[in-house]
Amino acid sequence: MGDLFSNLSLGFGVALTPINLGLAFLGCLVGTLIGVLPGVGPIATIAMLLPITFGLDPTGALIMLAGIYYGAQYGSSTTAILVNIPGESTSVVTTLDGHQMARQGRAGVALGIAAIGSFFAGTVATLVIAALGGPLTRLALVFGPAEYFSLMVMGLVIAVVLARGSILKAVAMILLGVLLSTVGTDLETGEERMTFGLPFLADGIDFAVLAMGIFGIAEIMRNLDHTEHRDVVRQAIGRLLPNRDDFKQSYKPVLRGTLIGAILGILPGNGAVLGPFAAYTVEKKLAKDPKRFGRGAIEGVAGPESANNAGAQTSFIPLLTLGIPPNAVMALMVGAMTIHGIIPGPQVMTKNPTLFWGMIASMWVGNLMLLIINLPLVGLWVRLLKVPYRLMFPAILMFCCIGIYSINSLPTDVMFIGLFGLVGYMLIKFGFEPAPLLLGFVLGKLMEENLRRALIISRGEITTFISHPVSAALLLVAAVVLLVALLPSVSKGREEVFLED
Amino acid sequence: MSEAMSGDARPARARPVRSPQGLVAGLTLVALAALALWLTRDLDQGTLNAMGPAMLPRWLAIGVGLCGLVLAGTSFTTDGHGLERWNLRGPVFVIGAILAFAITIRPFSFGPLATPGLGMVIAGPLAIIIGGHATPEARLRELAILALLLTPFCMVLFGDLLNLPIPIFPQALTGLFPADWSQKAVLRATAAMMAGSGLLMLVFSPRRHARSVDVTGHSRRI
Repeated sequence: MGDLFSNLSLGFGVALTPINLGLAFLGCLVGTLIGVLPGVGPIATIAMLLPITFGLDPTGALIMLAGIYYGAQYGSSTTAILVNIPGESTSVVTTLDGHQMARQGRAGVALGIAAIGSFFAGTVATLVIAALGGPLTRLALVFGPAEYFSLMVMGLVIAVVLARGSILKAVAMILLGVLLSTVGTDLETGEERMTFGLPFLADGIDFAVLAMGIFGIAEIMRNLDHTEHRDVVRQAIGRLLPNRDDFKQSYKPVLRGTLIGAILGILPGNGAVLGPFAAYTVEKKLAKDPKRFGRGAIEGVAGPESANNAGAQTSFIPLLTLGIPPNAVMALMVGAMTIHGIIPGPQVMTKNPTLFWGMIASMWVGNLMLLIINLPLVGLWVRLLKVPYRLMFPAILMFCCIGIYSINSLPTDVMFIGLFGLVGYMLIKFGFEPAPLLLGFVLGKLMEENLRRALIISRGEITTFISHPVSAALLLVAAVVLLVALLPSVSKGREEVFLED
Repeated sequence: MSEAMSGDARPARARPVRSPQGLVAGLTLVALAALALWLTRDLDQGTLNAMGPAMLPRWLAIGVGLCGLVLAGTSFTTDGHGLERWNLRGPVFVIGAILAFAITIRPFSFGPLATPGLGMVIAGPLAIIIGGHATPEARLRELAILALLLTPFCMVLFGDLLNLPIPIFPQALTGLFPADWSQKAVLRATAAMMAGSGLLMLVFSPRRHARSVDVTGHSRRI
């Protein structure tokens, strides 16, 4: 316990330096901005801003990028409540009751409880990361290649189960993602694989290029297909601070949401997206009068909002302790860390304690900033929402081009975001989810490396994955999760969860 | 929401294909798998003890192909979504804009053809104006103003403040300025002129009538 506090104080010492405070503020502001604006996601933004962090020191760079990620979670709830459109997919459920509250003239209270719930969840999640960081890191040190491989298999299986739509399509996307990661020079033999003889493919496909293509560009093309009207709430926003009754009604949902979100967020495989859904379902089941849900129940805002923020933050745990990115944003953080010469994994905490604890402390600082900057700026965000999409997307397009060009100074990279954009657009049209593909791509290289190593150590015995107890347990969990998801009754329930939005 | 947006699920009783989307999706996967298998045909698979370069790609491709076959197969037995309407305008202009940016940002040669390096000062506005036409609501004047204001912002941010090695303007441009001006001074002067003309256009543009505010649905992003 004493350890925890000395570590946290070390972290706050780093996070509270003026430059890091400024970077956290900048990150939170940019994050809120892109969270508020539907059509710009954190993935494309972080990929765009990667080059900007080249000149910063690694701690500052990561503090800023982390701020963008959780700032986006805050911002998206503003759009969900005021416009009935989720700024990010994690606030889909907030639209249900949040927007109804806004129609009843309680927009301010909805925004207030969302911000307060998120802040509470962020605080708890920060403590969870700090408390779990140490033990998990020690656990990671006993992990061998077989365990790592099995852990990643488990993560991918969970990602399949959590993805929307057909399980088969999600499996196909994961396999395709891993397949794409094998493009380029084989590290062991030096032979080129699937490069078409093109020199710029010899190093493999750049992650930022793939991410920006299938998330940034494909998203623009998809958005251009259907335009909806923005229905910005015209009623006054009203007072922002919830009153005593509101607090009384919502403190339990906040606690439950935080718990659910924090647990789901740790799971490799982007559990953070499912958190708000799970929290909403739980609140609806527990409520005395479930009919109020969908008509402006404050619990329906408090629970999911806390869950999404808790999940966004605990998803840093697998990255910081095991070096495994659980979702696409974390994969970009891996990119940012490697650019600065830091290899994510258990050694980060021992080798760069100031970076590790500084980043954790900055998350709490960032959450506090978001609480303070977000509420007074609501008016500004509402104005921004009035910028029409026909002016927004050309700007996003140019930023994407400039951002991706400045990473490697290669015009071919720019062309490839167009190609991957088209591929992503086609996949969406065919009913595939691009998120599992990206996750498979991210974990692909690590998986192949660990698979090879494990097989070399065991002299080609495939049973090595079952004879190691930890590895066997992880694979068992994966198998059970997959079987449960395929059970007819569960798969029906799964469809319902995703249809509810 | 994803269900609502991925097209109408018309029951197609009369036709043999009950899920056209599933069929096309499955065949696409099979084609991708076939491509990967063909590309890795000359590579050594190795043994489990010493995996060759082709081991993983080949088995993954087989997996993708199997998924595709199952998907295509079930499209004859299970009802599913129809194919969505394709809108060519969006992708064509967006990709056109990206290509225009890529070949003008710095000298680029493609076979016998070569483009001069024009830098961000040309590539940026090109991307905005070509890309902007991806929607039928595009208005040239509006896009020109946007380009004239955003490009100098990016020039100053990336080229001046952040010092990223990104070409800003064609070398010929320096000849138009006094010889003793530094690159940065030329950059700032160009940016100021662009922003100034953009602002002038904005001020003197005819008053627009009530703008229709549009936005898009977003449920599938992480």
